[in-house]
Amino acid sequence: MPKSIAGNGKSINSRVAVVAAGVVSPLGFGLSETVDSLREARDCITRVTRFPVAECRCKTAGQVPDERLLKEQHEANRAQRLHRASHMMIRALTEAMTQRSDFKPELTVIGTTSGGMSYGEDYYRSVRRHGNLRHAPTWIANYPAQKPVIDAQEAFGISAPCQVIANACASGTNAIGHAFECVRSGRYQRVLTGGYDTLSELVFVGFDSLQASTPEKCRPFDRHRAGMVLGEGAAILALENLDAARARGVPVLAEITGYGMSTDNFHLTQPNPSGIGPKQAMERALRSAQISPSEIDYINAHGTATVFNDAAEGKSISELFNGVPVSSTKGMMGHSLGAAGAVEAIICLLALQHQFLPANINFGSADDGLDLNVVANATRPAPLGTVLSNSFGFGGTNASIVMRKLEA
Amino acid sequence: MSLAIAGMGWITPLGNGVDSVWEQLLQGREASLSQLAEESADQSYKVFRVSDAALASLSPHPRLRRASVISRFAAAAGLEALQAAGVTIDPHNQERIALVFAISNGGVIYTKRFYRDIIEAGAQSASPLLFPETVFNAAASHLAAILGITGATYTLVGDSAVGLLAIRMAEDLMTNDALEYCLVVGAEEADWILCDAYRRWRLLRLAPPVEPFGEVARGMILSEGAGAVLLARNGSITVARTHAGGYYRKRSEAGQTLKAMLCELAGAETDLVISSANGTFIDKAECRALQQTVPDAIVYTAKPALGESVGAAGLWQVILGGQALLRRELPPLLHATPTIPLRVPASRMPLATAQHAIVLSSGLNQQIAGLRLSIQ
Repeated sequence: MPKSIAGNGKSINSRVAVVAAGVVSPLGFGLSETVDSLREARDCITRVTRFPVAECRCKTAGQVPDERLLKEQHEANRAQRLHRASHMMIRALTEAMTQRSDFKPELTVIGTTSGGMSYGEDYYRSVRRHGNLRHAPTWIANYPAQKPVIDAQEAFGISAPCQVIANACASGTNAIGHAFECVRSGRYQRVLTGGYDTLSELVFVGFDSLQASTPEKCRPFDRHRAGMVLGEGAAILALENLDAARARGVPVLAEITGYGMSTDNFHLTQPNPSGIGPKQAMERALRSAQISPSEIDYINAHGTATVFNDAAEGKSISELFNGVPVSSTKGMMGHSLGAAGAVEAIICLLALQHQFLPANINFGSADDGLDLNVVANATRPAPLGTVLSNSFGFGGTNASIVMRKLEA
Repeated sequence: MSLAIAGMGWITPLGNGVDSVWEQLLQGREASLSQLAEESADQSYKVFRVSDAALASLSPHPRLRRASVISRFAAAAGLEALQAAGVTIDPHNQERIALVFAISNGGVIYTKRFYRDIIEAGAQSASPLLFPETVFNAAASHLAAILGITGATYTLVGDSAVGLLAIRMAEDLMTNDALEYCLVVGAEEADWILCDAYRRWRLLRLAPPVEPFGEVARGMILSEGAGAVLLARNGSITVARTHAGGYYRKRSEAGQTLKAMLCELAGAETDLVISSANGTFIDKAECRALQQTVPDAIVYTAKPALGESVGAAGLWQVILGGQALLRRELPPLLHATPTIPLRVPASRMPLATAQHAIVLSSGLNQQIAGLRLSIQ
């Protein structure tokens, strides 16, 4: 196929299909449960049970229940040693591989922010308090960020090399975006991508110390928003050269058509209030997809419900788009950091498949400074052709991807 | 795709600056030891640390005021690489330069301090100033801000193979014709908790020497620092081929996985190999794979002199490979025994006709990676 040049100067060789997907998050285990939760606009935030939160302002999070997560995998001794993150990755990959058992990736690109952090906590606490270090080798071996990825691959005999991207809260979207570009460039035919993160005390207390998390409900884009609640989860997408997938007769769930990223050098933890970082990422994603803003039917916003993020993101959305429906699904499931972009890509995929606008729950009244068409409180049906998903993170990393429904 | 090294930067326990460190290695010098202790523990550890003097020339920057030492190492190495290439970043090209940051353990000193406050004094004592510096991409963010890069910035996490995986990722990114350069930086800091973890994993030696390819894997010495390589479209040292990498499931399988990768990288001629042998189980795996695939190549590892710098290690190896091809010489392999079944430089070794080098990284946590350098 002759190369063509996109608006950003990139050579385009291939179109990129999503041929399988899997997810575990507070919204549910698998795509079906996730759709149900989204349709019901279910609030899946609960009181944190994994570690003490009595001294924290925020006491809630979106949590994946261990009794379900670990139930079927505790049979083998090895599985008992794995970190929860590995269990989540295995769950998500199992669902994807059930759809496409013949999917043999040449590369795996996964986003995360904290790897097996809770094992690091266990280890340090034991060292510090002269506690029992019998499990230290297990904690150490399962702490590295690549370990859950390798564990999940091993469960299916996949031996693809792993690129583990840690771009803070943008990691999941950056991973999908990079995987998309790897297939689009023609260098790879099949790439496995996604993201994962699990709750840990260190990260929970960290956001609490910054007063970025809220003791109240998470209310993205609301006038009275007071911060985020954290979440956890894992999501996997199998990307393949669209022509190759069609030639094999593989059903295509959606097409990824664009990716943009920017680096906002304003501050380590705060976005530039001008919204320039998010705006550049979205503009670049649109250019990459070779479409205009008017062709976007829905935006799944980063929407953490912090004062600063929503102001900067809202400003950039209102400057670029004209009344496009916007929602942040973090009010329902919390902010799962490195997994967020991947879980939200799955939400976009489901929105395209089932033709609905996911709800932005806990929305009371609009912020006077934000001119946004928020999908308030209830999920509603809508014809969707092309959607955009945003993720922004510490360090000023901003990432956006464009997905579209592909008619059979 | 054509990819070449335009500039390099090096911060090590043996000094800073590519030419200076290279000269030290040629002289057969070994980094000085420091001792790390922890107030709550009896065991102390010996490591190779970067001296304060190595960062003396780093200009003050608001972003570095509270930043971790990793960020300082990275800034110094990154600036050296850009300077060596004569590249300045300005509003005209700031979107056309990508940054890929390789890291393994991250800002472990601040992370440990932050968590210690939580477990000792409670969540209310947690410092909002420390927490942002515990995030893996904090150093990349500081570096992007210092350099003014506004385009693609990625932090890649992995084991000691992550540096070469970052070069591979840079090659992926450079398929974008709009990119002129990609700066790849690897950095790591040494801390007591890392030493303790590696010791409990039976990978650390309590005192030097690091004995490469020894009969018995007695362990490594941890070190710290940064390496930076500015990749461009053209240059005298080319990245002729990268391997996407891979992983081994068990330590006993590492050799087979390495062999398969080496077969793909070797090509018709391989003059030298920059190995990642560090005194652990990977030495035997690399030794066997090298014997079977490139038995005539001269094999060198700098880890007896510089230690195991994990996230920075791959970039250090690329710098070593580049320097060896450019300077047509290899430093002596320190602490080598006569029984090593490989061609190793027992003393400074001239490489008058060497044109091709393989850089081989075997990580301690299952990842492997490799690439091939050539000189025009």
